[in-house]
Amino acid sequence: MANKGWDEFEIGAMLRSFNGPVSDVALTHQEDRDYSENNSFTASVADWRIEKPVFNKDYCIDCQFCWIYCPDISIISRDKKMVGVDMDHCKGCGICVEVCPTNPKSLLMYSEQTDEEEALAAWPSKETGEK
Amino acid sequence: MSEIKKIKNLKEFSTSADRFEGANLLCPGCAHSIIVREVLNATNDDLILSASTGCLEVCTAVYPYTSWDASWIHIGFENGSTAVAGAEAMYKALKTKGRLKQPDREPKFVSFAGDGASYDIGFQWISGCMERGHNMMHIVLDNEVYANTGGQRSSSTPIGSSATTSPAGRISYGEKKNKKDMISIMAAHQIPYAAQVAPNKWKDMVKKIQHGLAVEGPVFINAMSACTTEWKFDPKDTMSISDLATDSLVFPLYEIID
Amino acid sequence: MAFDKMELRDIEVWDGNFAAAQALRQCQIDVVAAYPITPSTPIVEGYAKFLADGYVEGEFVMVESEHAAMSGCIGAAAAGGRVATATSSQGLALMSETLYQASGMRLPIVLNLVNRALAAPLNVNGDHSDMYMVRDSGWIQFDAYNPQEAYDLNFIAFKVAEDHDVRLPAIVNQDGFMTSHTAQGVKTLTDDAAYNFVGEFKPMNDMLDLDHPVTHGVQTEEDWHFEHKARQHRDLMVTVMPKIQAAFDEFEKLSGRKYNIVEEYDMDDADVAVVCMGTSVETAREVATEMRAQGIKAGVVGIRVLRPFPFMEIAEALKDVKAIAALDRSSPNGAAGMLFNEIAGALFNTDTKALLSGYVYGLGGRDLTKAHLRDLYKELQANADAGKVTTQLQQFIGVRGPKLAFL
Repeated sequence: MANKGWDEFEIGAMLRSFNGPVSDVALTHQEDRDYSENNSFTASVADWRIEKPVFNKDYCIDCQFCWIYCPDISIISRDKKMVGVDMDHCKGCGICVEVCPTNPKSLLMYSEQTDEEEALAAWPSKETGEK
Repeated sequence: MSEIKKIKNLKEFSTSADRFEGANLLCPGCAHSIIVREVLNATNDDLILSASTGCLEVCTAVYPYTSWDASWIHIGFENGSTAVAGAEAMYKALKTKGRLKQPDREPKFVSFAGDGASYDIGFQWISGCMERGHNMMHIVLDNEVYANTGGQRSSSTPIGSSATTSPAGRISYGEKKNKKDMISIMAAHQIPYAAQVAPNKWKDMVKKIQHGLAVEGPVFINAMSACTTEWKFDPKDTMSISDLATDSLVFPLYEIID
Repeated sequence: MAFDKMELRDIEVWDGNFAAAQALRQCQIDVVAAYPITPSTPIVEGYAKFLADGYVEGEFVMVESEHAAMSGCIGAAAAGGRVATATSSQGLALMSETLYQASGMRLPIVLNLVNRALAAPLNVNGDHSDMYMVRDSGWIQFDAYNPQEAYDLNFIAFKVAEDHDVRLPAIVNQDGFMTSHTAQGVKTLTDDAAYNFVGEFKPMNDMLDLDHPVTHGVQTEEDWHFEHKARQHRDLMVTVMPKIQAAFDEFEKLSGRKYNIVEEYDMDDADVAVVCMGTSVETAREVATEMRAQGIKAGVVGIRVLRPFPFMEIAEALKDVKAIAALDRSSPNGAAGMLFNEIAGALFNTDTKALLSGYVYGLGGRDLTKAHLRDLYKELQANADAGKVTTQLQQFIGVRGPKLAFL
């Protein structure tokens, strides 16, 4: 957001979360909300990441461990299904990969520059036997 | 009293619409936001929130951005609890006087604060709020250290920890004092509910938050918040570290009812 | 309405504290969060009793410290309603952190500050140390000289503070004990007239408007903080004074009682003038009249609005005077007095040839007697006659021991 002059903002450094009224935020998903420009939802921390999670739908069992433990509201789940990762808000912590219970994992960390298609094409196979 | 949100399993919980937003400035892997998400998603009620000065506060309301989708206030380090208590008093006054804009909705009042802001500098304010019987919940994000100022010991820091002001060294093993038993102190205020929770045990936590929001009167919650920066572990390990703490009973989960 | 109105006589015998408590009742305060401290305590006790007797509706939150009192007021004000409290001295010192928070968040809280000395040594009596301590905290500050004014200025404070163009908290000062505990005749307003003057509270950015979530109390670092502070200062410098004047005018229409940004007494042709605050203004007025009988053309300027400081109004009031005394009831602790400095600043770039001297008096409730003021006016006249300040620039009056004078 552009820096404004002293006469261009609300007094008291007050910020509004949304443009206009909202009556049922707790029942309205992000895509249906009218966020104000001051809501951090409209900002991005993508440049914090060194590594990024890549999601492989083929192995996901929609257990939602990644959703509940994501600190950054970056696991997008709708209708009890894991849809994908919000790459504007993911900081690349890797918790989602750690808590993923499938074999092979449905989420894996790759360097930020890795091409997603290539990562999916070269996804590891199921680990078997003793380690 | 409003209806308690039905959350019978994680799939059902995942249909929640978060009221806490990303692109906040908390460290990658910070448990604070996992706790906040579990608390906020445990209810569909309207919320009036506060945060005392600390990591959560300085990372979620940095002008010109807010990460909060419910009304939220921060005043200082010590008085987040009293900020919410004041708002709760105003709610009661306006309800009596018939001046609420949405008279049919019953918001819940919740204050968040770190262990420094709760066990130490904000201790008196929280005690006052609990003693006066405000209908509110105070939640400690307990990472057992002053993380926002860089790792000094608080009265929540457990014995043997190496904090920057109680460092382990050539002749010292670090912190010499046991962690203050804050929950017992709060329970001694004769409040209806006090509990210790951890975000890795989400089901236990959600159940306790829901119970706390449902009871009338002040509620005290102590939530373990694993700190990747000050506990010095890899951000990806927040949940496994948390599991070690709760499963070993280093951080036991319990509740004190009435 | 689920509370009863109170029938008041046209003139009641009230001390300053009870007058302020009655004003809070008539303004129908929604939340009072307070902590007891002498000499301000009876104000909030009064509200609590009115609440207990069903003469007002609201919430009285008796907290565990003055810091929590203002913290609770901030939370309540941000939630959206009319909020007041009272304190003195050490209590104000303890809540001073939160005063900056209240004004920075633009929350229109009214604080009745019953002026009292600051320890150490501990003292419960009236001086202006506490008033001076928070003069840069971004609050509007009114000064009452007697119980009547403590009553009236509360209505004016709410009207100005809550104006959406202002939205700044306001302090109503009155002298500890000399005003707060001295019963005098107070001309009252009816409950309806008083409430209509202040008006219904109009919420703004209220947290309890559940359809419009707001965030209050954000962090601003070097890229934003300056603009927010500048905005607040600008509003104090530009917006507030005309609003105060408008409120004074409207109040005069209602009550017949006229208030001014600076209160001039016999200043039209004055050669010498005393500038002071609080109960001292009334004493100085009496002495000024006596001095005129002795041939000294004496006048008094009372500060009615300390913040925003009436820079232009002071310069105008003093422009034709030959000698001025600035009376500070607070130890400057290593400087000239606050009023001395402010007046000097106001006059410096004008054409005045007035001589300015400063006096420190009345600390810890020490009386300022008429004899002190007679001597003082004579000194001013001597300065005027000599065309220079004949004493040192700063003198202590009313203190035992060898004479103390500096500069």
